[in-house]
Amino acid sequence: MATDTVTPTPHATGKPTEARHATAETASRTTVKVRALSREFDGRGVLHDINFDIRDGEFVALLGRSGSGKSTLLRILARLDDEYTGTVQAPKRPAVAFQDSRLLPWKKVLANVMLGLPTRGVDGTETRARAEEMLAEVGLTDHAKAWPKTLSGGEAQRASLARALVRRPELLLMDEPFGALDALTRLRMHQLLRTLRQRHRPALLLVTHDIDEAILLADRVLVLTDGVLSLDLDIPFPVVGRRRRPGFTELRDRLLEELGVADDDR
Amino acid sequence: MVTIDEALVPGTDDRFARKRRKRNGKSATALIAQRAAGPVALLLAWWIVSATGLISERILPTPVAVFEAGANLIGNGELATHLLASAQRAGTGLFFGVIVGVLLALVTGLSRVGERLIDPNLQMLRAMPILALMPLAIVWLGIGETMKVSLVALGVMFPIYLNTHAAIRGADARFLDLAATAGLNKLQLIRHVTIPGALPGFFTGLRFSVAIAWLVLVVAEQTNATSGIGYLMTRARGLSQIDVIMVGLLVYAVLGLASDALVRIIERKVLSWRLTR
Repeated sequence: MATDTVTPTPHATGKPTEARHATAETASRTTVKVRALSREFDGRGVLHDINFDIRDGEFVALLGRSGSGKSTLLRILARLDDEYTGTVQAPKRPAVAFQDSRLLPWKKVLANVMLGLPTRGVDGTETRARAEEMLAEVGLTDHAKAWPKTLSGGEAQRASLARALVRRPELLLMDEPFGALDALTRLRMHQLLRTLRQRHRPALLLVTHDIDEAILLADRVLVLTDGVLSLDLDIPFPVVGRRRRPGFTELRDRLLEELGVADDDR
Repeated sequence: MVTIDEALVPGTDDRFARKRRKRNGKSATALIAQRAAGPVALLLAWWIVSATGLISERILPTPVAVFEAGANLIGNGELATHLLASAQRAGTGLFFGVIVGVLLALVTGLSRVGERLIDPNLQMLRAMPILALMPLAIVWLGIGETMKVSLVALGVMFPIYLNTHAAIRGADARFLDLAATAGLNKLQLIRHVTIPGALPGFFTGLRFSVAIAWLVLVVAEQTNATSGIGYLMTRARGLSQIDVIMVGLLVYAVLGLASDALVRIIERKVLSWRLTR
């Protein structure tokens, strides 16, 4: 699945557009459709002929070593980079959660969550209520009026998640959002992400270098090796209790191998 | 991560100073006493050399004489009059200088065309010592208030412009990415990201500006003025009232310190988000 045949696209047709070509043979509805995507930086190829889909509500993890082009791919999907060739169909305004929480330090937490939300209701009361609700979902009600600099790393990431989800995005892009957190906080963030996903159901692309994180959370794993999608694998486990499933270790080894790392503890 | 802005802002240093103080385990009063020791010793030395006649009183009056001259000027209301005149000039000049500086920084900071058109001119003007413009200012604007206030405003404008411009141009690219993904339009970007991000730079400029305002004023008031601290001192020079000259100097010192402290207080209030730890 999802490794459809590549429809050749005439390259160098100027700026990429929303629907440079359309092939609608996929069974379920897709949120993201990437075809023949390549990206160069000063003549150095970073992404080569990338093809994949993300279906509505699907959770895809993108694994890769540093420098493999993961972040470049995410930036293209986030529409922060349009200097590519090929076709990318993605929602117009995906939400992004960055590795650093990227809260504006001069705005209090609630104002950060409300950033860019259209003002609704009298004096924006409706917008405000929505933002407060979202903060409650991530358990930060008490910190609504706090300055971002006073938050812990985990709290800041939760605020960042609230800001991303408050706009009810069709697509949520996450760039190693838990990479800088300690192991315990990361586990709690995983749990929170599962809950939020159940409730909001966005299509999700999680860029990570943590294999366990990918297997524990995602429906599908993509591996990017030197700018090429080298693996596209469904995770055959139900949502919970994955670590104890038979086959977990094998899957983990398989992905480790794909990333070119041998597990000493084998 | 320390951004360039943070590194530029004097307020940041205080945080480290506070930490160091705690680490040394010394009480605040002991430290204040230590800091006061230097000035007190200087005052004592002054007293000794002048009171013993080591240096003639016509060259260096005793601290007591200076104190008396000061009390006298306060008593007859002269000091208040001149102080008010000076403060008005400095305030008006500062007001217009800050407005013009900020407007220019916004134009050059937000528009590449504006930067190319305006920035080279300002960089060139900046190379000129502001006080050298005085003869020209007198010819153009006369010897009245307009000349004095204009010179102050011009002197004030440069640090405001340079620091605010640099802060806008140096805006954190990560926040610009965030603004793009949050769907902010140009105006929202300026309001929520650019301007708050440039405020620390603005305040750095403001502190330089306040110091420059006084500096320009001293010189401007010594030419063809009939009021102001500078005038008071020039007149005293003609009458060889060294004690009054010294009072004037002290007043300038106090004004400089007080205005700097005022700016710091405002900065701390406005930028309270950065000082919370």
